[in-house]
Amino acid sequence: MSIAPIALDHADRRAAAKLVFDGVSKRFGRGPESVLAVQRADAYVGEGDFLCIVGPSGCGKSTLLNIVAGFETPTAGEVRLDGRLVDRPGAERGVVFQQGALFTWMTVLENVAFGPRARGVPAAEARDRAMAYLEMVGLKSFAKRYPYELSGGMQQRVGIARALANDPDVLLMDEPFAALDQQTRELLQEEIKRIWKRTRKTVLWITHSIEEALFLASHLVVMTARPGRLKAAYAVDFDSERDPNVTTSAGFTSAKREIVGLLREESIEAQRQEGVAT
Amino acid sequence: MSARNLDPGLAADVPDTDDVGVANRRAARRSRALSLASFAAMLLFWTAITGSGLWKPVVDPVFLPSPLAVLQALQKLLNTGYQGKSLLHHFLISLMRFGLAFGFCIFVGVPIGLLMGMSANARALLDPPIETTRPIPKLALLPLFIIWFGIGELSKTIVIIAALFPLMSISAMQAVRSVSIRKIQAAESLGASRWTIFRRVVLPASLPGIFTGIRMSVGVGVTMLVGAEMVATSDGIAWMALSAADFIQTDIVLVGVLIMAAMGYTLDRLCRLIEARLVHWSGKD
Ligand SMILES: Nc1ncnc2c1ncn2[C@@H]1O[C@H](COP(=O)(O)OP(=O)(O)OP(=O)(O)O)[C@@H](O)[C@H]1O
Ligand SMILES: [Mg+2]
Repeated sequence: MSIAPIALDHADRRAAAKLVFDGVSKRFGRGPESVLAVQRADAYVGEGDFLCIVGPSGCGKSTLLNIVAGFETPTAGEVRLDGRLVDRPGAERGVVFQQGALFTWMTVLENVAFGPRARGVPAAEARDRAMAYLEMVGLKSFAKRYPYELSGGMQQRVGIARALANDPDVLLMDEPFAALDQQTRELLQEEIKRIWKRTRKTVLWITHSIEEALFLASHLVVMTARPGRLKAAYAVDFDSERDPNVTTSAGFTSAKREIVGLLREESIEAQRQEGVAT
Repeated sequence: MSARNLDPGLAADVPDTDDVGVANRRAARRSRALSLASFAAMLLFWTAITGSGLWKPVVDPVFLPSPLAVLQALQKLLNTGYQGKSLLHHFLISLMRFGLAFGFCIFVGVPIGLLMGMSANARALLDPPIETTRPIPKLALLPLFIIWFGIGELSKTIVIIAALFPLMSISAMQAVRSVSIRKIQAAESLGASRWTIFRRVVLPASLPGIFTGIRMSVGVGVTMLVGAEMVATSDGIAWMALSAADFIQTDIVLVGVLIMAAMGYTLDRLCRLIEARLVHWSGKD
């Protein structure tokens, strides 16, 4: 179990690509005050890939994800999903936010059933489906509660269930576990990995935790400091089912060291930029 | 509280989920007691300086009749009415003027505000007339409204509407505009249509802001009622108080003032009650 460098934009990957980043750039604002957040991102993401994105703060990770979600439009290049241009939000791309995106006025069940209901699934069926996903994330007994009655970790699970209940092709997750404590995080990571193995959804996952990335990912991208470019990419394979102690294995530790080294260079660069900016 | 924390045996017979509930109820009870005490103190002071027939008044009853005298005046008004019309009539006519304007603004002003919040075009179209007329004191327009709409009910209702409409529509607009973009994006990503997003996300998320506008309107509306009944009428509670003042019937003036205060207070309570039921989740995000 190890990581291996890979070229995500290699032409060989094109045929099996689910999601295509084709020279994606994003500039915020105009003129000398403008910020180039993402610069020419090229990548082919295969169906069923679990792609983790790491990079220094402010390097454009969220921007990239928001472009795939359809919340932002790229200033150059394009993103295609199954060959179709991405230019607006859509139900085939489920989004899980860091926090604060649950509908506070709806019960947990209504939150999870929202997607199916909005797309015309009959109420009873939407309810059953929502219940099934709530059971999957271990929150069946909280169906009638309101989000504010739940802990942060439970709310995050509701967010995940809500996205899954809509059966999207692609899941987009922007630091979904950032606000959680270490133990909750690790439990949810295992849960996510289990769900992913079962459903084989294509996942884009942003995180600041290298361990989380190595544990979850099938592919890993390290971004450069702003303007965010794809600095390095790896195929990742750490399976906790084959080895429960994988995260303390030698392979994991050396992989971690390699990524930490790459990130450190970029973080220093990012801090230097901030020093110049202020 | 601290004893319970120290003694696990004691803690066992109080379900700990109720901790917050108990503390809240205790705080609510205390603040209610304080309000009551402050109210009683005012009443006591009023009784003390006016004597209530028990001792020689400090203030001439012509300027400030005692609470007892005001009560007697109320009794007399209930029995014989004022200027040929029953007290109930005066009350109902005032309530109608207020209610018509209030209702109109809720059913027309709020939706227009929501529309302005949702659509930039609607905002561009409707914002100028509302914004440019906002600084005008609406009571100053009453003579104009009387020329345009006659001395009947219409001009009175319209002058109240003129004051409440911008209040309600602008607060509804701002409520819509401050709905968390993330929640809207979440709904979009779940495949919701624009209409579904409005109905199930934007509208509920705006309710607290809409209620703020409605509650502000209660206070302003009662004030406007007094202004509207100042001229060209011969009924209404505010008119009763105003015309009694001409004859220095201070007790009747006070009855009118207290009825209007009670009206404003009751309506405000009612709004809070409805709000608490409707937006139980407010501020818990
Ligand atoms: N709407 C916006 N308008 C202007 N600038 C923006 C906007 N959104 C992001 N930026 C800028 O683009 C750059 C990248 O932001 P982004 O949020 O994508 O970073 P990030 O990698 O997600 O950072 P973090 O790890 O801290 O979440 C930042 O410099 C940010 O200031
Ligand atoms: Mg981010």
